[in-house]
Amino acid sequence: MPKLIIDDIPVEVAPGTSVLEAARSVGITIPHFCYHPALAIAAACRLCAVKLLDGPVKGIQMSCALPAQDGMVVSTTDPEALKMRALVIEWLMLNHPHDCPVCDEGGECLLQDFTIAGGHSRRRYQGKKRTFQNQYLGEGIHHEMNRCIECYRCVRFYQDYAGGTDFGVMGSAGRVYFGRFQEGALESPFSGNLVDICPTGVFTDKTGRFRARYWDYQFAPSICQHCSVGCNTSPQNFQRETIKIVGRRNDQVNGWFICDRARFDKGYLNDPQRPREPRLDGATCGYDVAVDAAAKSIAEFVRNNGADKLALVGSTRLSLEGMIVLAQVAEAAGGAKVCYFDDAGLQQGSLAAAKLLHEENAAYVKDIEQAQWIALHALDLMEEGPMLALAVRKAFLAGAQIFLVAGDTLPACKALPFKYTSVETLDQVPFEGGGKGVIICGAGSKDPELLAEMASSGAKLVMLQPGPNGFAAALLTQQHAAGPLAELVAARQVQAVVCFEADVPQTLLSDLEVLANADWRRGAVEAKAPIFLPTTTWAESDGTAINYEGRAQRFERSRVAGLPLKGLDPKYYGSATEAVTLHPPRVHRKDVPGGAERDAWQVMAQLIERLGGEPVEPLTGKWRALKSLDPEGEGVRILEMGLGE
Amino acid sequence: MIPETLKKSLQARVASAITAREAAVDVMKELQAHYGWLTDEAVQEAAALLGLSPLQVEELATFYEMIYRRPVGKKVIHVCDSISCWCADCDKIIQYLKDKLGVGLGGTTADGMFTLLPCCCMGMCGDSPAMSVGGVPYGRLTPELVDEILEAERHKV
Repeated sequence: MPKLIIDDIPVEVAPGTSVLEAARSVGITIPHFCYHPALAIAAACRLCAVKLLDGPVKGIQMSCALPAQDGMVVSTTDPEALKMRALVIEWLMLNHPHDCPVCDEGGECLLQDFTIAGGHSRRRYQGKKRTFQNQYLGEGIHHEMNRCIECYRCVRFYQDYAGGTDFGVMGSAGRVYFGRFQEGALESPFSGNLVDICPTGVFTDKTGRFRARYWDYQFAPSICQHCSVGCNTSPQNFQRETIKIVGRRNDQVNGWFICDRARFDKGYLNDPQRPREPRLDGATCGYDVAVDAAAKSIAEFVRNNGADKLALVGSTRLSLEGMIVLAQVAEAAGGAKVCYFDDAGLQQGSLAAAKLLHEENAAYVKDIEQAQWIALHALDLMEEGPMLALAVRKAFLAGAQIFLVAGDTLPACKALPFKYTSVETLDQVPFEGGGKGVIICGAGSKDPELLAEMASSGAKLVMLQPGPNGFAAALLTQQHAAGPLAELVAARQVQAVVCFEADVPQTLLSDLEVLANADWRRGAVEAKAPIFLPTTTWAESDGTAINYEGRAQRFERSRVAGLPLKGLDPKYYGSATEAVTLHPPRVHRKDVPGGAERDAWQVMAQLIERLGGEPVEPLTGKWRALKSLDPEGEGVRILEMGLGE
Repeated sequence: MIPETLKKSLQARVASAITAREAAVDVMKELQAHYGWLTDEAVQEAAALLGLSPLQVEELATFYEMIYRRPVGKKVIHVCDSISCWCADCDKIIQYLKDKLGVGLGGTTADGMFTLLPCCCMGMCGDSPAMSVGGVPYGRLTPELVDEILEAERHKV
């Protein structure tokens, strides 16, 4: 363990740690642009200069490319180093336009920060700046090449890290240009990360440009709810609208990056057509009126038909809290059934995966990255867990063999950022005792015997869940011996349902009475339910999600519920067809327009109280350990805590 | 479209390389010789031959100064403007070339014979100021010598 002294502070770091990281570990930030912990060292920008006063090397050195060694005495404040950094930042700024006021990066710009930190505040260069033609890069990303300082972060990410081939660096010297061969949408499903990784405003998020500044945003640590990988994000909100979503570092899940779906697929959160008002028999009503009516309707149905003919239906979209309380509602209703899945196949596979995985065989992301072989079993990875493709790519680059088992017909195979061998069955994968091998499959709709066969191979396992919170759904299904709704309906065991964020297919609905429906989006259920209770999305609620490997992660409310202010009209543009008057009502109001939504589990808790039950708190009993989850931490694997039993 | 014989020989060149990328410069030069400059079409053809994306070929093509991504004259004059030649007053030679050819840097003469390009060091610092015409290097340039060289190059096939 090398011991060195940085600015009079003794530091001990792991071998191979750079001086820059060593300094960061004691709270000293050395200005840098090209250096990024996730990327290979380029030492291209020359900004991270420090002076070594004593030790094995002396003089001005680039701290990002210099491994910490015993006996080093480093000064980040030596006049010579300060002068060097000031000159470097001055030359990096030579061609940079003075367009910060009209640049969407302004306020969250590393170049702004380090220009100030580097001591460059007055322009001496009076010559012409070099300029470029920008390219159209698709609907996600705006290109503004004049701002480029040639740190090469974008191309190192795009080609080396993410395996894209349609974006790169052209030209040489003062003509260096980062772009495509011809204009067109970027092909990589990870292209949005260029926004996060560019230290200045060359790449900005076109879907949220010019809406707000960094200091306007409300944001909180969140968890992406698009697939069961559970990538860490920060939704940036302004005036009740999710403007941008950026990646948040979690080395145990997504590293620094997120996929484009996580970043750009946010329209549904801001949708003015989202159902936001509680409704009773088609008419808008107060929330408590709707909850009362739902409780009354449940009680009446139970009295007339018996509690066992009623099912409370959730889905993998619910938070863990919602899933836990859902079962308590069923209890309060006198022993109604509870369902977390509609489809028997999905439930069977999801449940089997949750049962088979334990602390030893459930792969960590590191296990994927360091695997010697990886088998993708009939899996459309870019659909079911895109970020894992980058972990597989890391293994591939380190020499691992990748096999795609029975997956040639899947559409996304062409987009996989690594080469693979196609085989027909799992038997054709040379296991060799399973050492350092990983099998990745989607658990939903898989035969439990096949999953068990995979588990017996000795390889580490990744079983992607159907839906963002599938693992939690499987645990609760197991705990409450819940059945899939389709089976219960087929066996005529259920006559009526109360739905919470459930996507019950039309075919099942025709045989069912829907007593009440709570959701944040429209669907087939809504049309059949006489009572509608609007709920909050993950962006507007606190909650817990459990990802494919059993990692429980906390997400926080990042903004209040309500209609986005943008374009708000008299009727809160809630109707696409009806004509509206031209001015908002001139009446006093204290509530947020469209802000009646409540968290699903809280709606359930209110139902329980109306049904005569005790007030509930979701994370109690065996779940108590998750109450103190740190939203900014790495999450905890519940397998480790014995919660999966 | 390149002729089948050229395609075959380029495929053989790529096949003999340890990695396809390493044959990229040879392939680009051959295609440039065929078209006169490396056309957009040629970049796509090179990409197909090398198993790279057009962008990846473009990255290499735009890096090397002797791969021309715009039309050039029959012979390209690369005149050095790096430090050793600058010490030997290459500015005077460059100005003389501009005046004589009637073009600026990057321009092609009206008869399509010469394109004048500045270049960085050709490794001829000992013979500065230096230039190359159609790939032939010339050193210790004077205006008189430039006249002679251009006259000779104009008539050389």
